[in-house]
Amino acid sequence: MRIFLSLSFLLFLVSCSSNENSHNYLRWVGDSAFKEQLDSTNFQLCNGDKNASQYFHFQEGMQYVGEKISLINHFFDQYKSVNVDQSGWIRIRFVVNCKGETGRFRVICSDQEYTPQVFDPKITDQLLTLTKSLKGWVIQRHDQTPKDYYQYLIFKIDNGKLIEIMP
Amino acid sequence: MKKIFSILYLFITAQLYAQPNCQAYKYFGEDLKYEACTVAEKRNGHYQFSKEYQIALDEALAIDSTFAFAYKAKSTAYLKSGDFITWKALIDKAVHFNPKENLDYRGWCRFQFFNDYEGAIKDIELLDSLVDYDIGHCQNGFYHLQIARALCYKCLGQNEKAISIILEQFNDPAHYAGLFDYLHLGVLYLETEQYQKAIDVFKKQEQENDIAENRYYIALAYKEVKNKKDYLENLKLAFKKYNEGIRLLDPYVEQKDKIYLSQIEKELELAKIL
Repeated sequence: MRIFLSLSFLLFLVSCSSNENSHNYLRWVGDSAFKEQLDSTNFQLCNGDKNASQYFHFQEGMQYVGEKISLINHFFDQYKSVNVDQSGWIRIRFVVNCKGETGRFRVICSDQEYTPQVFDPKITDQLLTLTKSLKGWVIQRHDQTPKDYYQYLIFKIDNGKLIEIMP
Repeated sequence: MKKIFSILYLFITAQLYAQPNCQAYKYFGEDLKYEACTVAEKRNGHYQFSKEYQIALDEALAIDSTFAFAYKAKSTAYLKSGDFITWKALIDKAVHFNPKENLDYRGWCRFQFFNDYEGAIKDIELLDSLVDYDIGHCQNGFYHLQIARALCYKCLGQNEKAISIILEQFNDPAHYAGLFDYLHLGVLYLETEQYQKAIDVFKKQEQENDIAENRYYIALAYKEVKNKKDYLENLKLAFKKYNEGIRLLDPYVEQKDKIYLSQIEKELELAKIL
């Protein structure tokens, strides 16, 4: 029972945490501090948390090998629609480090009115797994130095069906 | 293209960070707002994502919880980090306390960042009903809000309505062509099988801002009217321009009607067997 409760709590944290508005600000809005219960210790930021950039700082938009269409195909080819009466947005935010590896995944979800909503785990688990399996993140550089950066994907869901991916 | 974007970006950034005129609040006897506005100035010099920036605005809101500007300024970092829940809660407050000055931003961002077409249309149309002046351009300056509204209708599958909104906007003597207006209209004509009209407006786009997308879509229109020479010529030019970086580019999101290199390459392969 205890293990079940712990697992449920962990799943809740990963699958659809609440939004991040808090007066306990970290360095920047959207920063994801390391959480032992969520994050792999194998994933490291090369230049430390304090130096992580945002994907748009590089002025080239989201950078993925084969361009966004390749990423779109990855999801649309593999995502299996779930027959539920749930629509809205799911955002998965994560860090791409200087080696192109990903970690610190965080999920938030809302309905179509932007009100927090917990989606059926069959939806969020699929999207999280597919996001974690992406291997084409482009290493971004500033003055020739590879940087760590925050990236996010937003999935627009209509009745359990994936219809659009942003940014 | 990159140069144009950089200039616009600087302009927009300057606009976004533009300090409200605190003295104006004082002049109009809004003392609380004046005080809040002055405190909000502490954010100056700090990045909008930073703790210092957010705290300065929190302090301003602690003085005057109706200070719409502070909610909007706080919301932007959440928008750009993809936190639609916090962003919406903050921008809703800005709209609540000052709808005429914030509906444009909320509507545009719903479209640009979240593809919330219905929500964007609702906001833009509400703004239009509230004011008797031109509703103006979107935050990044790329589109008049009526063109953005048209794009929303297009994304909802209402192409004819989108065309009619754009044409109506073009008929406004005060309207000047945006960087991509003709491109989007041309694609709408292409998608509604009005090929000659598409070619005509793509040629206008060529004069305004000759990007790879324009060459790609005009090539498709020429293909439909069996003009193989211009089809091929424009396709090759689309490939060249794309590789030179002369294409749609927004650092935050992908714009509507953007194409990918693989699409041009695929079409070039098809062209070989035509």
